[in-house]
Order: sequence, then C-alpha cells, then structure tokens
Amino acid sequence: MIEEDFRHFLENRISASDHPREQIVDTIFSLQDRYGYLSDELLAEVSMLFEMSHLEIEEIATFYEFIYRKPVGKYVIHVCDGVVCWMNEYGSVLDHIRRKLNIDYGQTSHDGRFTLLPTCCIGYCDRSPAMMINRRVYGRLSPEKIDDILKNLD
Amino acid sequence: MTMQVLFKNRHPERIATLEEYCKSGGYEALEKALKKYSGSEIRSIALDALLLGRGGAGFPAGKKWMTVADNAPFPRFIVCNADEMEPGTFKDRVLIHADPHQIIEGMIIAGYSVFAERGIIFIRSSYENAARILEREVSNARQAGFLGKNILGSSFSMEITIHRSAGRYICGENTAQINAIQGKRANPIQPPPYATEKGLWNLPTVTHNVETLACVPHIIRNGHDWFKSLSRTSTGAGTKLYCVSGRVKNPGCFELPMGTRLSEIIEDHAGGLPPGYQYKTCLPGGASTRFLPKDLYDIEMDFESLKRAGHRLGTGSVIVFDQKTCLVGATLNMIDFFARESCGWCTPCREGIPFIRDILFRIENGEGKEEHISWLQRMSKFISNSYCALAPGAAAPVESLLTYFEDEVREHISQRKCPFIQKDMLS
Amino acid sequence: MPTLIIDDRKIEVTNGTMVIDAAEKAGIMIPRFCYHPALGSAGACRMCAVKFLDGPVQGLHMSCMVEAKNSMVVSTTDHEAVEFRRHVIELLMLNHPHDCPVCDEGGHCLLQDQTASSGHVMRRYSWKKRTFRDQYLGEFIQHEMNRCIHCYRCRRFYQEYSGYNDFGAMGIANRTYFGRFSDGSLQSPFSGNLIDLCPTGVLTDKKARFKARRWDLERAPSICIMCSLGCNTVVSSRYREIIRIEARHNRDVNGYFICDRGRFGFSFANNPERPRNVRIGTTSSTFDDALKYASSKLLDISKKYGSKAIVCMTSTNASVETHDSLKAISRNMNWQNPGFFMDRFQQSKITAAVERLKKDIAISLKDVENADFILATGADPVNEAPMLALAMRQANRRGAKIVILDPRPVVLPFKFEHLSQTPHNIDSSLHGLIKNITENNEFEATGERIKKSLHPAIICGTEITGLSTVNLTADIAVLLKAAGKKAGLFYLMQGANSFGAALAAKGSMPFTEILERIDKGEIKALILIESSFPYDFSDQELVKNALKKLELLVVFDYMPGYILEMANIVVPTLTHFETGSSFINQEGRLQKTCPSYQAGTPLSQVSCGKHPPREFRKDIPGSGAKAAWEIIHELEKAMTRTNSQNI
Ligand SMILES: Cc1cc2nc3c(=O)[nH]c(=O)nc-3n(C[C@H](O)[C@H](O)[C@H](O)COP(=O)(O)O)c2cc1C
Ligand code: SF4
Ligand code: FES
Repeated sequence: MIEEDFRHFLENRISASDHPREQIVDTIFSLQDRYGYLSDELLAEVSMLFEMSHLEIEEIATFYEFIYRKPVGKYVIHVCDGVVCWMNEYGSVLDHIRRKLNIDYGQTSHDGRFTLLPTCCIGYCDRSPAMMINRRVYGRLSPEKIDDILKNLD
Repeated sequence: MTMQVLFKNRHPERIATLEEYCKSGGYEALEKALKKYSGSEIRSIALDALLLGRGGAGFPAGKKWMTVADNAPFPRFIVCNADEMEPGTFKDRVLIHADPHQIIEGMIIAGYSVFAERGIIFIRSSYENAARILEREVSNARQAGFLGKNILGSSFSMEITIHRSAGRYICGENTAQINAIQGKRANPIQPPPYATEKGLWNLPTVTHNVETLACVPHIIRNGHDWFKSLSRTSTGAGTKLYCVSGRVKNPGCFELPMGTRLSEIIEDHAGGLPPGYQYKTCLPGGASTRFLPKDLYDIEMDFESLKRAGHRLGTGSVIVFDQKTCLVGATLNMIDFFARESCGWCTPCREGIPFIRDILFRIENGEGKEEHISWLQRMSKFISNSYCALAPGAAAPVESLLTYFEDEVREHISQRKCPFIQKDMLS
Repeated sequence: MPTLIIDDRKIEVTNGTMVIDAAEKAGIMIPRFCYHPALGSAGACRMCAVKFLDGPVQGLHMSCMVEAKNSMVVSTTDHEAVEFRRHVIELLMLNHPHDCPVCDEGGHCLLQDQTASSGHVMRRYSWKKRTFRDQYLGEFIQHEMNRCIHCYRCRRFYQEYSGYNDFGAMGIANRTYFGRFSDGSLQSPFSGNLIDLCPTGVLTDKKARFKARRWDLERAPSICIMCSLGCNTVVSSRYREIIRIEARHNRDVNGYFICDRGRFGFSFANNPERPRNVRIGTTSSTFDDALKYASSKLLDISKKYGSKAIVCMTSTNASVETHDSLKAISRNMNWQNPGFFMDRFQQSKITAAVERLKKDIAISLKDVENADFILATGADPVNEAPMLALAMRQANRRGAKIVILDPRPVVLPFKFEHLSQTPHNIDSSLHGLIKNITENNEFEATGERIKKSLHPAIICGTEITGLSTVNLTADIAVLLKAAGKKAGLFYLMQGANSFGAALAAKGSMPFTEILERIDKGEIKALILIESSFPYDFSDQELVKNALKKLELLVVFDYMPGYILEMANIVVPTLTHFETGSSFINQEGRLQKTCPSYQAGTPLSQVSCGKHPPREFRKDIPGSGAKAAWEIIHELEKAMTRTNSQNI
C-alpha cells in the first residue's frame, strides 16, 4: 500500500534513530499526512516497520488524540473546547460550522473534505475562540472569519 | 514597562533571529559555562538563584540536577517540556515564537551541568509552527557551533531533537512524557526510581519546562544575585511569564517580576475587565489550580505566597471569571477535560472524575439534588489520593468551587436551572 | 532488616519488602486488586491504602507502593484508610454489572469480597453505565469486559511477565479496553493464567463456564503430569467431572503460574471413551474374578515357559507407587524386571542424568529465575517444559544472558542467542567450553560470559541430546561450582516421573527390547500398566503383530485405545486426580497429589441431559476403577493365594 520511495524514507528515518520506537508517532503522522488516517493496512505497515505486533501499535494509536483510526476528511477541524473558549462561546463557533458543513462531532462531510472533532485547550487562549485545522491554528473566530478560512483552504 | 529578560527580543509577529539573540548577549552564557564553570558549579548557581520549575510544581531546578548521581550511566538526557496542555496556558508558545534560542542555550547549559548529551524537546502537536521554528533554530545553532561535537572547542557535545506529541494532557507529566517519547502509552511512572536516575531508556533524564530552561542562560550570564533581585518578593526569584485570559480586555502573556500582585497583572497589564463586567474570581495557574476567593485579589503571585494562602501558582496562567459567568458550568467544562484526558491508570481519576462530571452535569442542568453537594465534597477529597498529580489538579477547581462558591451551586439546585442567563449566540 | 509495627503487631522483614507483603507476613491481609507478588506493584487500583501514623512516611499511602522501613507505624484500620478504601470500592462498582448470579468468578471474586467487606450496599450512581463489546479470545478464555476494574494485571502478566504481545490495553481514560487487536485465539502458551489473575470475572475459564458455582466444587491440591516439571495445581470437580484446573502456589517450582497445557489438558480424565469396566476378553467381569483369572493364567505361563516369560511394562508417567508395586511384584514372582522407558537410549540418558544430579548442583525453577547466565543445551523449553521458558524469561528480565544450543528452530518469549548446532557439534562446543573454563586462554563469547556470571544455570534436555551431552553439561556445572560460582544443573526429562523411573529401572528392559523378546517368543505374558509407549512406537504394525503373539495380555489403564481391545484382561485404573499418588520431578523433588473426587462416569455423561439427572441406584456408575498400584498389590495377593491353592 505504501509507495516504495516513501517506505524507504520512513525506514531510513527510523534506522537513523538511536531508539527506533521514538519514531512511532512521527511515522504515523507522516502516514496520516499522506493517506489521511491510520487504516488497518497502514497500522499493519507500522507494525512491520517497527517489528511490533498489531496490538502494540493499536495500544499506542488508541491512546493519543491525533492519531486517527477511522477515516477522516481532507481537513480535520478541531474546535477548542477549553475553558477559556467555553467562556468565549466556542459553542457558537461549533454551531456555525455544524450548520455550514452539515456535520456533527465525529462526522465527515459528504464531499469527504471536512471532519469535525473537539479538542482540549490548544494554547491560544489569548486569541479565543480558536480552532485547529490540520495542525494549523486559527484564533479570534467569528462566523465571517470561519467562512473565510474554510473558503481559502484549497 | 518592567524589565524584560525572556521577552527582551520579543517583536510582534516576528521571531528573534540567532544574530539578534547573539547581539543581545545570547550564547555568552554558554561560553562562560563551558569555559569557566564545572557542571557542579552550574548546579549550585541554579540552586542559589532559587530557580523554581515553571512547569507547575515549582521544584528547584538546581536541586533536580543534583539528584543526577556523578557515577550515573551515560548517555543522559535533558528533556524540554513544551507540551503545555494546561488549559489557559500559552506562555511556552509565546516564548518559542519570541526568542527560541534562549531555550536552546538553556538546554545546552542544563545538559552540561549534568553531562547530558542528548536533548529532546517534547512539543504538543497543536504547536506545529513552534515545532518547525525550533527545528530550524536548532539546526542554525548547530551550524553556528553551539550544538554538535565539542561545543565551542570544549569536550562537551550535545544534540537536540524535536519530538512531536500525538496529543494528551497527561504527556505533560514528566514521567508519562518519558513513556510517550519511548513510543509507549503515556501512563505516568511513580518514583522510585526517579527519572533523574532511571528515565528515558532507563538512563538519567532531567525534564524542564520551556520557561525554566529559558531562564538558565540569563542566570549564568548575570549571576544568581541578579536573578533573585528581579523578583518582587524575597521568596521568589527572576521574572515570570504570566498568561492572562478569560474575561479581560487584553488577554496575553506578560513578563513581570515574580511576585507581581494579581490585581496589577489583571488591571495594569491585561487591561482589566471589559466594561460591564466585574471580577468574580480567577484560576491563578491553569485549570488544575483552585479558584481564588475575592479577598486574595491582591495576592503576590509567586509559588510561596500562594502556597501559604492554600493555593498553587501552577503555571501562572490567570483565567479571569466575571460575575456573569457560571462557575458550575466552567468547572463542568474543566472536569470534562480532565475526564477525557485521564490516562486511565488509577481508580480515583479514571472513575472518580467522570462521576464528578456526571453530578456537575445534573446540577448545571437543573437536576441537582441537595445531597450532590456532599457527594462532590467527598469525591474531590478522595480523588486527590491518586497515582499522579492529574487527579488532584482536577479536584482543585471542584473543591474550591464548593469552598468559595457553594451558594452559586445551591442556587442551581434550588432554582432547578442554571441561574446565569444564556448569553446571545455569536452571530 | 527493617522492623515495623502494623496494627500493633511488630514485624521484621527483609530489605525491599513492600508494606503490603509485610502485613501479610504478620497475618494481616490488606485488600488489593492490582498488586500481585509476582507482578509487583502498580499503584493503580488504590485499594491497598493504609494510614502511616509514624515513621519516615506519614499519612494515607498505598501499602503496595511503600517499602517497609524501620520505625514505621502503620494502621490498616484507621478511619481515614477504611473510608478511602470504601470509596475506591464505590468507584469500582459504578459501572460494574450486577451479574454476580451468572458470573463464574462469583465465590472467588476479589471485587465481590471487597464490596461485601467494605460495606458498600447502595449504588449512588444512577445513570447510564459504561459498556464494552467483548472479544472472542479462543476456546479457553471467556471475555466479559463490562466487569473490568482496570487493575492492569492481565496486561502486566501477558506482556511484561510472559513476553507475548497480542493482548493488551487499548484506548484511554475510562474507556480503556483490555483485549486483542481483533478477535482470535490468544497466542501465549501461558494465557490461562489470566483466568487466575483477573480479580473479577472479565477473563474466566471458558471450558468451565456455567458448569458449577465455586462453592459447589470439590477442590484438592494436585500436580501436573503433562511434563517433567511437576507444577502444582488445584483440581476442581463436580459430579465426577473435572471442571477446571488452577495454579497452586509453590515457591520453588511453578511460583504462581502454570502453562495452558497443564491447565486445560485434563480432558482425558473426563473422556467418555475412558475404560470404566473390568473385562475378561470382551465380557465384563468383576475385579476379583479378573484378578483370579489373571493369576491363574500367569501361573500357567510361568509353569509352561518359566517365570521370566512374564514382564510388566509401565511408563515414565506412572506414579512412584505404581513403579514401586511393579518392582515388588516382579521381584517376588521372579518375573523379568519391569520396563519403564521407551528405549535403551532414553533409559541410559535419564539414568545418567539422575546419577549426575547431585544435591549440591541440582536447582529448581526458582533458581533458574535467579540465574544470571543460562546455557540450555538440546532443549526447546516452550514445547518440552513451558514453565521453564517462563522462568528463563524472568531471569532474562533481570539481566541474565541466555544461550541456546539446539539444532531446532527454538522460539522463546525473550531475546536469546541461538547457536544452531547438530547434536554432534553440541558436544564439541561443550568440550570447547570446558577447555575455556579450565584453561585461561582466549575465550569465546559464551565462555567469557559464563566466567563473569555468579549464578550460571546449565540446562540440558534429554530428548535429542546424546548421552555424552548429558554428562558434559554436568561436568560444566561441576567445574563452575568448583570455580566458586553458585552454579546449577537443570535437566529436562520426558515423563512426569522419569526421575522415579530411572531410580527404579536398574536392570530393566525398555519397551523396544520387550517388544523384540515378544516377537522372538521369549516373552509370553505382558502386563501393561498406564503406558502409552505401544501407541507412541513408530511401527504400529510391528506392535500389533507382536502383541498377537502373546499368550496373555493384561492391561491396567485409564486411557482407551486399540490395545485394550486386544487385551485378555482389562482393569480400569484411576487417574492421579482421583487417587493420591506421588511423582518425582526432573529436579528430584518428590511431590504428592491428593484425590480430588470420587471417580466414576461423570453425571453429565450418565444423565445425557435428562432430568432428574440420574436413575436411582446404590452404586456409583463407572466406579470399577482402582489405583494401578492397588490393582498390582491385589494381583500379587491373588497370585500368592492361587499358588498356595495349587500346591
Ligand atoms: C497532569 C500534568 C500535566 C503537566 N503538564 C505539563 C506541561 O504541559 N508542561 C510542563 O512544563 N509541565 C507539565 N507538568 C509538570 C511536569 O510534570 C514537570 O513537573 C515539569 O515539566 C518539570 O519542569 P520544571 O521543573 O521546569 O517545572 C504537568 C504535570 C502534570 C501532573
Ligand atoms: S491520576 Fe491516575 S488515571 Fe489520572 S492521569 Fe494520573 S495515573 Fe492516570
Ligand atoms: S494493590 Fe496497591 S494500588 Fe492496587
């Protein structure tokens, strides 16, 4: 499933490390950046790359927030629900996105472009309410700003 | 403007370059350390400077370094904790975006003091920008000869790598972080053995918060007395990055003398509350600290003063709540966060926090009962006896809510609804 | 040696003892879920909280996380500690299903016990419970995740202690799930220990499921006879049927655990095909008649061909009592010495091993765990003696280097060095090693490591190795001992009582030679006692033809098989579960089993699912079997009686 070049790239990065296991998360992130989410097939690849069992990879994959084990859209929107964003009405940000994209938490839009997920405080409380799309953060959100951001994504 | 040390080179929307940093005295401390001091001398300087860990616990850095035994095995590790997932906290992000080299220099000096030749910066994945900045600047530092083999002609060598977190609050806890870096589930590890004895790959590992490390070069360059003189209080030392967010006019991160009064931080620096809002309370150091009662509005914000008042400075991240904000709702939000982020290892945290969440949820939604108050009291007391410090942190807002704002909770119960009117939607 | 006070009792313990164990030593059992002596402390469940009243540690702490120190004063009954523990129970019971009436753990469930003892009788939590989906974990273990209290014992055992990686913890927070990546059989040959370890009913014995309540079981201490290690077990049965087998703690042998073969390999005892009736030819008979008939036949043969035309053949799996009774009858009747082994080669190897295994170098499994270097020669632990693999893993976890000299593709749950060599080359390697140890010239890697070690353990299999290997390994152990090391020798043998057989086998013929003599017509009568050798022999035609040449074939056995059909006389015997009997394990340790139930056809087989489950009769159906040694003893008596009548 992974292209040979890409696999070589991953293998080299892993073997360059004193402790290969340190590279698990980076490897999964690289795979997600390329293929979207950590499918069972990709998980099997990871387990081969690290000579670990499927279960051992699954133990890690299901522990962390930003490893996706289910299909996600091209853009994963994480709306911050930290306490400061709560005070600053993150609920209305959420409602706006929900209405606009017609999706709820955990869902992916029909065109496969957007997935909506919550996330805890992303450390942008000085620009609250905030959200994160594919590890890029956007703050001081308003409905107009959200429209703009989504429009400019492609 | 008060004395800026860590934010000396802070520019709006621009990161200080290596040249800029060097021009302002950057990497002088490293040279001084390598040429003039032995590792143990640096350890004593840090101890004398009263450098207390800025990650929340306020443990003396010098003391931590001294726990690495002289005959401990090699390689040793120095970890920079840039996980910063404490709700309300963003100082490390601001610091990295302002002047990243002082963190790198601090890591090298701290590394030298315990002869750790491998540095790892553990950074949360929502700080991808910051991670890239650090990657770039680490490589710049290496090119300039501050990293790599035989730094500045000394016998000391060091490499720094960036490790991205896959995201969990518990990864900020230093022992859980050690598991996270090793590609394991991030459950904490209770000492003994301490991480400084057996940490990463069973080798000595010293973990510090970003801000703590950033202080190190300044201390070495200017001396411990200078560092202590920066503080307003005699119990504190240095400056502190205070984050202010919530109901204030100008939320942001401010470098102020350690021990600056809370009122001053909120009013003079964060612009006070917006018109029409009055101060009700604040969390002084992130979501895992206790709500401050109003009479502590003038408290000197350093580790010791808050401790004496029965509170914690935590990360020094002030979240301000106004009279119109429902504290039950706020606590519910935070408890929800803690319940979601519990690592699931120990019973009080794994089962207790969701139980508290369920009760708070009932109260907030008008289904609260009189007895729920005593349940919460009992629960927040008991969950503090947990495996790591996450659960006690989670208990802090709940317990202080009941201590200082029991009336507000009771109002929810007696009115069978949240007494705070729902505010308009953002539209 | 710290001395401390726990609940007003003064107790002295060794350095490094945890308070929870110190208390147990003083006779105070502190409640616990996650702590297990073999798995160590986890500090997860928080159930073992006690109050430290005085000394270096003060306040409420987990007794499993605090090392006992001088001048500690500990209270387990302090109000705060009791309240805290009650609270932990309340939290653990929040989501726990109320399915105790149908839970197989009921009656030996730690959670049930602690819930009762903490006085938690009312659930305050009245909202939706957390639920999980269960997995298929194979035919031995039943999964019921809703009952989980997250003590992590299963994962700690499975991954850390036993070294397998297809079972673990997934998810986070209160959704943490213990299971496999996907449905499927557990890979570990030690998976059954999860049943014993799980303090609630998440992982239970699938074969025993819904068969009996715990308190209705007949339980008795026993020994596993699936290999030569002699792991200690507890056998539970009901209505003449074994329901389950659990591990029984024995510090020196198996510790807290047993392997899956020992746990689940008891179906032979419940086998519906099992011989239950005494038979002469094809007609059923009584015990007395059969013996009378046998003795007169034997006397005839004795008269006709001489007493040496008669031989008894048993196996290395039969008990010491059986072996002994056979020696006695054969001697007294002047028959051939009884046979114990398959072939001469086996017999000589095991005999040599027994001879070489002197008291000062013989070591137990526990000692293997504590070794800092292990050399295993011609041994495949997981297949030949699984618990040895587990012990070696513990040594490895503590830092021991392990070298395996074996031509086969040996797989073990830990890192080791495999020197794949033919049995012949094994000997030259061992010679090299001896040279290495005795002469101080340049060492090869293995020799160097042995030299550095303080507790080397030398393990030697007796299946594929040569006789010389058995001796060479002993030489090495002796040499190392002489060099001042705490060296040990550990042999593997094939039967549960090989050691006993070797002690008894002086001057006796193995099965293959008996077969030859039968074939040649020199032996006319064979008494076969609990021996599978005829079935194990490679040329089955040869066995059949030889047996046909006998004038008399007497079989005493609990296993069915075609030989029983060929026999002139069949007397069913009792398994070691049903009769108390003794076995000597490969290390020379004599261990005894207790009878755990009255033998007979299991009720489930008699009733065929009908209700009421039995027809009323005075005797126990299928209870004609006796212990082999008892039958032999009776036969001897009958022979003497018949003999004197004839005179
Ligand atoms: C649940 C939990 C989360 C934590 N998160 C962070 C964090 O995000 N960043 C941090 O620097 N320290 C965090 N800490 C504190 C660390 O465990 C550790 O004390 C700190 O990194 C040590 O650095 P310092 O001595 O410089 O403060 C956390 C602690 C706990 C219990
Ligand atoms: S308090 Fe317990 S469950 Fe919570 S994060 Fe710490 S160890 Fe994990
Ligand atoms: S037995 Fe001590 S915490 Fe579980």
